[in-house]
Amino acid sequence: MDTSALATAGGPGTGLPGDGQEAAARGRRRALDPAVVVALVLSVAFVLIAIVWPVLAVIGAALTDGAIPIFQRYLSPPQNQILVNTVVLGVVVATVGTAIAFLFAFVQVRVPANRWLKRVLHVIALLPIVSPPFALAIAAISLFGRSGMITRDLLGMRVDIYGLPGLTLVMSLSFFPVAYVSLMGLMRALDPALDEAAANLGSSKLRIFRTVTVPLLLPGLASGFLLLFVEALADLGNPLVLGGNFTVLSSRLYIAIIGQYDMLTGSVLAVLLLVPSLIVYFVHRYYAERASVVSVTGKPTGRPSEVSGRPARAMLLGAACLVAGLIVLLYGTIVVGSFTKLLGVDHTLTLRNYEAVLFGYGTKAVTDTTLLAGLATPLAGLLGVVIAFLVIRGRFPGRGALDFGTMLGVAVPGTIFGIGYLLVFNVPVQIAGFTIIPKLTGGAALLGGALAILLVYILRSAPGGLRAGAASLQQIDPSIEEASISLGADQATTFRKVVLPLIRPAFLSGLIYSFARSMTAISAVIFLTTPQIRIMTQQILNETDAARYGNAYAYCVILILIVLAAIGILSVLVGSSTRAERTSGVNVGASR
Amino acid sequence: MSAGTLRLERVTKVFQTPEGRDVVAVDDVTLELPPGSFVTLLGPSGCGKTTTLRMIAGFETPTRGRILLDERDIARLTPDKRGMGMVFQSYALFPHLSVFENVAYGVRLRGVRGRDLDQRVEAALALVNLHGLARRRPSELSGGQQQRVALARAMAIEPRVLLFDEPLSNLDAKLRVSLRSEIRRIQQQLGTTSVYVTHDQSEAMALSDIVVVMNAGRVEQAGSPSEVYRRPRSRFVADFIGSADFLDGPVLGVTPEGLDVSLFGVTVRVAAGDGHRVGDAATVVVRPESVRVGDGPIRALVRGSTFLGSLVEYELMVGDQVFGALDPDWMSRGLHVPGEEVPVSLIGSKLYALPPDVRSDTAAHASDTTEVAAD
Repeated sequence: MDTSALATAGGPGTGLPGDGQEAAARGRRRALDPAVVVALVLSVAFVLIAIVWPVLAVIGAALTDGAIPIFQRYLSPPQNQILVNTVVLGVVVATVGTAIAFLFAFVQVRVPANRWLKRVLHVIALLPIVSPPFALAIAAISLFGRSGMITRDLLGMRVDIYGLPGLTLVMSLSFFPVAYVSLMGLMRALDPALDEAAANLGSSKLRIFRTVTVPLLLPGLASGFLLLFVEALADLGNPLVLGGNFTVLSSRLYIAIIGQYDMLTGSVLAVLLLVPSLIVYFVHRYYAERASVVSVTGKPTGRPSEVSGRPARAMLLGAACLVAGLIVLLYGTIVVGSFTKLLGVDHTLTLRNYEAVLFGYGTKAVTDTTLLAGLATPLAGLLGVVIAFLVIRGRFPGRGALDFGTMLGVAVPGTIFGIGYLLVFNVPVQIAGFTIIPKLTGGAALLGGALAILLVYILRSAPGGLRAGAASLQQIDPSIEEASISLGADQATTFRKVVLPLIRPAFLSGLIYSFARSMTAISAVIFLTTPQIRIMTQQILNETDAARYGNAYAYCVILILIVLAAIGILSVLVGSSTRAERTSGVNVGASR
Repeated sequence: MSAGTLRLERVTKVFQTPEGRDVVAVDDVTLELPPGSFVTLLGPSGCGKTTTLRMIAGFETPTRGRILLDERDIARLTPDKRGMGMVFQSYALFPHLSVFENVAYGVRLRGVRGRDLDQRVEAALALVNLHGLARRRPSELSGGQQQRVALARAMAIEPRVLLFDEPLSNLDAKLRVSLRSEIRRIQQQLGTTSVYVTHDQSEAMALSDIVVVMNAGRVEQAGSPSEVYRRPRSRFVADFIGSADFLDGPVLGVTPEGLDVSLFGVTVRVAAGDGHRVGDAATVVVRPESVRVGDGPIRALVRGSTFLGSLVEYELMVGDQVFGALDPDWMSRGLHVPGEEVPVSLIGSKLYALPPDVRSDTAAHASDTTEVAAD
């Protein structure tokens, strides 16, 4: 072969920098795949219209002249007590919740115990995820309230559960599972060799725990604490049911909007709630990302060292069982209460509650909620993974902004979206006289407001799909996608045939999370329900207000059953991973 | 399957660092790949070889310049429309698909179905000697088998050009050698134009029709393996391919057969490129095999020796110049120990004087190697 025909590099100085050719080259971008462009445009449009705009509208409403005296009122005594209450509640719930999460995770990973006992503890710890967040509050009232079955009937006490103690109890138990799952993952990923090295150097067990285990888990603990803090700040259901005189920002805000139709005060309170929530949320993300670094470096080589001392073991197991017992007691109350005329007063067994909920005036709430959540689930799941794909694999400026914008969906308390939607979508959005977006909220809204609720469901769930998708995409070697493309598949085909199958487990968990989250959501949706659309969580709240606890319990049980059924259906539909995938899925990209 | 002609015309790729600094990864590269040729892009990490390959594949877009496949500019075509098969360093097999489905993936996208599909896939698997493994999952195969599947998958689409991105670097040494001769065999059997990226010079020598040595984003030299080894155009090339030391000496005479250069006071006639003039200083490439140990006019001090069995490798010093030498004949002469003085001679027919112009130029870019993005 004639190799002399080969031309080689041009000499220096022929690169023509800075002249016309340079300018032409800058305009020459990589040809974009049309499917990517469509996905990008739709995602950005959703983030801007459904997420960013309503939040900005609330901030805008609170940045008017008329808002200044309201700010002053809520930032100085006596009204600043609400702000103080909110922060105190957040700190207390986060502390107790993180402690419970750590206890459960530690017991699972480090305490030797019967396998079945551990499994039961695990399932009990996950129960609160699939139930409406304030279901425990209602049960707590029945058990420990002024006429509680345990406090008054059994112990003869007259305690008042309303306020901080009750809220701490039910909110810690409701929110700790998320921190528990992530802490458990981190503990499993800790390299046991570290413990062995410390022991080899002469450290005692307790000293290892103090100087090795806890410091390594600190980012995870911090992230869990901050996440629980944000959840506690944003929660509306529990403060409404169990708050009593202990007013927090979210419940005060609810009264301002729903009770007093005072959008201005509502917006001011929303901004007061928004600022700490956002700051703490993104600090949490910072720690969460640092925490995950631990799991990447830790390649487990042995089994985690276990707690061997009998007293320590008994204490840890005992504490976990006690908490688990409390959770079971509360959920048991819900189940028993749903079959009882009025728990604590008339213990006649009855199916009336279910009759009312399933075949009476509750039917519409059950079908509306399930339908909307069922619609939102695939949309949110898909949106989440598509944005994850764009953010992780895309090469366009502003990827970080798209990620941030999507994450606002969970970082911003739901109540603020409630107000934001009322501010933005209560009138048709018109440009030059043409209606771009019809009226979505309030009376005479499009589809009775169903579209607004659907959007809220999607925006609250998409961030979960985004994070799960992003995490699993980062595990996948990009050359696998490049291989597909070089074989002739376009981006859309590659996404469908390679990316989606590979991130299927993450996609599935994203869908489950999405459905559970939608079914149990209340803080945003409560502002958007109309007479035409009924939502189960709001019905539960109404029934509780009216002291029809039986119906409230029946709603809770049905809601939990629907979520559990959906998990089963989704697992079958999306398909559980096969044996080969379990073996290969782990080392996608490990071959590098 | 017809082989394509690939041409790169003054291709440049500028990346921006996150801090907004421009980094030239590939700098004004022009190459022509005749149909059916096996071309290796060889160079240290960061030299721009992988970026060049990824521009050919379509995963990167050139900042400037044209990439022509059979005279058609493909620089703006998305990778899926280029019809090039690529074999990746990490194999990049689809873990959720069987071996059969991996190979069938690209063939299906070309509308082939049924018996034709089965035949194409089986033929591709037969070519890489993977009979009977079609139903396995990639995770159930060894590393070498996985890379064979990747090769079969890339070939099954009957590409105009085959691209290889360091395909053997994850395999152990023995497997690397056997797979590389297999790659060469298959490529010659099919006659597909191939571009192969590697940092392993022996791999490049063994495989290629043309070796393209790259450094700091530029092509240092392109030529047949023997030419690149025998007549390196720059210090960098001489050093990167094989091992080489450099001795400077004045040019005493220019003849059609070569230059007369004075090295250590001895005049040696060495092969050389054009452009040398009497009186200039020439840099002579001294490879270990071009030094004869045991007799000659030069007295060298043995600084170190490594016993390799069939050979002994010596590190010798004359004055302040250090250079390596190989002694294939130690059995008859015995071993020398460090500190000993030995007579040596330079074998003129095995030496080569670097072309004078390239010498200073190379020194200039060696200093901006740090500016180049890692590939």
